[in-house]
Amino acid sequence: MGRRWVWFWTAGAIVVLAIAQAHAASTIKLGVAGPLTGDQGAFGQELKNGALIAVEEWNAKGGVLGKKIEIVWGDDQHDPKQAVSVANKFVNEGVVGVVGHFNSSCSIPASTIYHDGKLVQLTPASTNPQFTERGLWNVFRVCGRDDQQGSVAANFIVKKLKKSRVAVLHDKTTYGQGLADETVKSLEKAKIKPVYYSGITQGEKDYRPVLTAMKGKDPEVLFYGGIYPEAILLTKQMRELGIKTIFVSGDGVWTKEYIDIAGKAAEGAFITFTPDQSEIKEARGVIKKHKEQFRSDVGAYTVYSYVAANILLDAIAATKSTDAPKIADYIRKTKWNTALGPIQFDKKGDVLVSPYVVWEVKDGKFVELK
Amino acid sequence: MLLQQLVNGLTLGSVYALIALGYTMVYGIIELINFAHGEIYMLGAYMGIVTFGLLTALHLTSPSSGATLFLMIVLAMVFCGACGITIERLAYRPLRNAPRLSPLISALGVSIFLQNFVMLAQGPRDKGFPHLFVHGGIDFPGGRLSAIQIFIMATSVLMMVALQLLVHRTKIGKAMRAAAQDKQMASLVGIDVDRIISVTFMIGSALAGVAGVMVGMYYGLINFFIGYIAGIKAFTAAVLGGIGSIPGAMLGGLLLGLIEALGAGYISSEYKDVFAFAILVLVLIFRPSGLLGADVSKRV
Repeated sequence: MGRRWVWFWTAGAIVVLAIAQAHAASTIKLGVAGPLTGDQGAFGQELKNGALIAVEEWNAKGGVLGKKIEIVWGDDQHDPKQAVSVANKFVNEGVVGVVGHFNSSCSIPASTIYHDGKLVQLTPASTNPQFTERGLWNVFRVCGRDDQQGSVAANFIVKKLKKSRVAVLHDKTTYGQGLADETVKSLEKAKIKPVYYSGITQGEKDYRPVLTAMKGKDPEVLFYGGIYPEAILLTKQMRELGIKTIFVSGDGVWTKEYIDIAGKAAEGAFITFTPDQSEIKEARGVIKKHKEQFRSDVGAYTVYSYVAANILLDAIAATKSTDAPKIADYIRKTKWNTALGPIQFDKKGDVLVSPYVVWEVKDGKFVELK
Repeated sequence: MLLQQLVNGLTLGSVYALIALGYTMVYGIIELINFAHGEIYMLGAYMGIVTFGLLTALHLTSPSSGATLFLMIVLAMVFCGACGITIERLAYRPLRNAPRLSPLISALGVSIFLQNFVMLAQGPRDKGFPHLFVHGGIDFPGGRLSAIQIFIMATSVLMMVALQLLVHRTKIGKAMRAAAQDKQMASLVGIDVDRIISVTFMIGSALAGVAGVMVGMYYGLINFFIGYIAGIKAFTAAVLGGIGSIPGAMLGGLLLGLIEALGAGYISSEYKDVFAFAILVLVLIFRPSGLLGADVSKRV
């Protein structure tokens, strides 16, 4: 290529960039980030569908601030490193706010970048307390916290199941280990010390050695802090080894996949999660819409993602600005009526009320225990 | 508990060994670390599911019969073998005389390509593997030897014996050994070295395919990413046993499986990989060419 061509290409690139810039200015960009692909893709799908429905509704009404809303997707593959680069991308692309991420281990490192880049972040699903405990003004979560969830799980084990020999496993992630440790803390308040405590590695497939070691301690209950792919393997392999221990876990396991793939082995497992969304009257609209549009039922966090996107867009519309501190202030001081019922945030960005309940796997379905 | 951990470890180890064989055979002949080998194993697992789906959808065999399982394994072997040959032909043969780094990078490329291809073709989600005679097993004091574990160990041993016979008792095996010793000399005495390399890739890949189907059954859950970790573990096994040496890969695989199971059981499951790799480092310090490896000095 001759030197004179360089000018040509440079000029071409500048024109392309200018067009891209002009195009960008005509829409409001909303960042949505989570594990869109990879082994936790099921959760990413929930996040995606919830946000999509919300944005389509807004666009049907004419968008926000007189502009159409455009979603910028960020796939973090539940990898903290990816999450940070997604966050940087969002800041550079000039999104007005972020719905996400899904995993606490991603939301937490990403939140510092959003903080520096002045972006509001609403996570639909990251439950680790640290997310809101670091005094950042820009973070909110529409879900509960693991200290609340852990104490519900521990209470259930002690008071309902009346078991005292508890083994605890976690997946060494911020979410999994965090939830496991909060549960252990609550168990210790009831004077119960776990008979076995250990971490497993995400992505591995054979957990028989650790389960065999656990079996040696003869636990009555296994509490697992982690996400569903590993929970499926643990449940299946536990039953194959002839271990009859009761399986208890948290919201990261509340997916259709867990029951579908683990099959019979999952029967009798107890999972802590929020109450039945189909019984919330405000949620019916979005649940129905999801069914029509995607021909499947909503997942654990679809409605949460829908609500997070709505709160963010509402705040932008109400403040008539894309200025993050203003939006954050408005979100904090407003009493929200959402598809999950009334929501109000405290100073830190946590929801004021977050009831966790226990679900049981019964005949291939999650059944809420009353 | 010790007995149970030994059973767990040997099962895992025999799978590692099957995959490690592919690494070691290819390295033995063209001195290439075939990073795409883990992906072949993943393809084998997917081929197993696809075959199962086809057979049961067309009502050719009943889902839990031995015939289904046999066909799953055979088709996975054929498919993976064909993939192995194709990959070698497209990605490695054109680089036969290139600097050593080029085929290595090409191998990484193939690996990334296959992972993403399967992700797009089969979806990013986990797939459940059908239950096939998983139930049942032998209970012994302190543990249980399940039918599937027996099946995996027996099949692996069978495959390894067959491979040994092939390498030491047949003409093609003799040609493989000759090509491994000196490609140029082998071609001078009339061996079609390119064909032997193809055959090596085919055999190694077919073994990985068997491992894929068996592991899919054992764990009951596969995704497009399983080849990565399995590949790393099997590669470690191959190095531990001495890369280039076939009995070395078998020994290395079994040892790695045992170390992992015992490490997880008696020390801590969090540190089991640390433990496995610490042993690898120790072995390499005292025996740089691996446990059963030949002297590597002339190769590097």
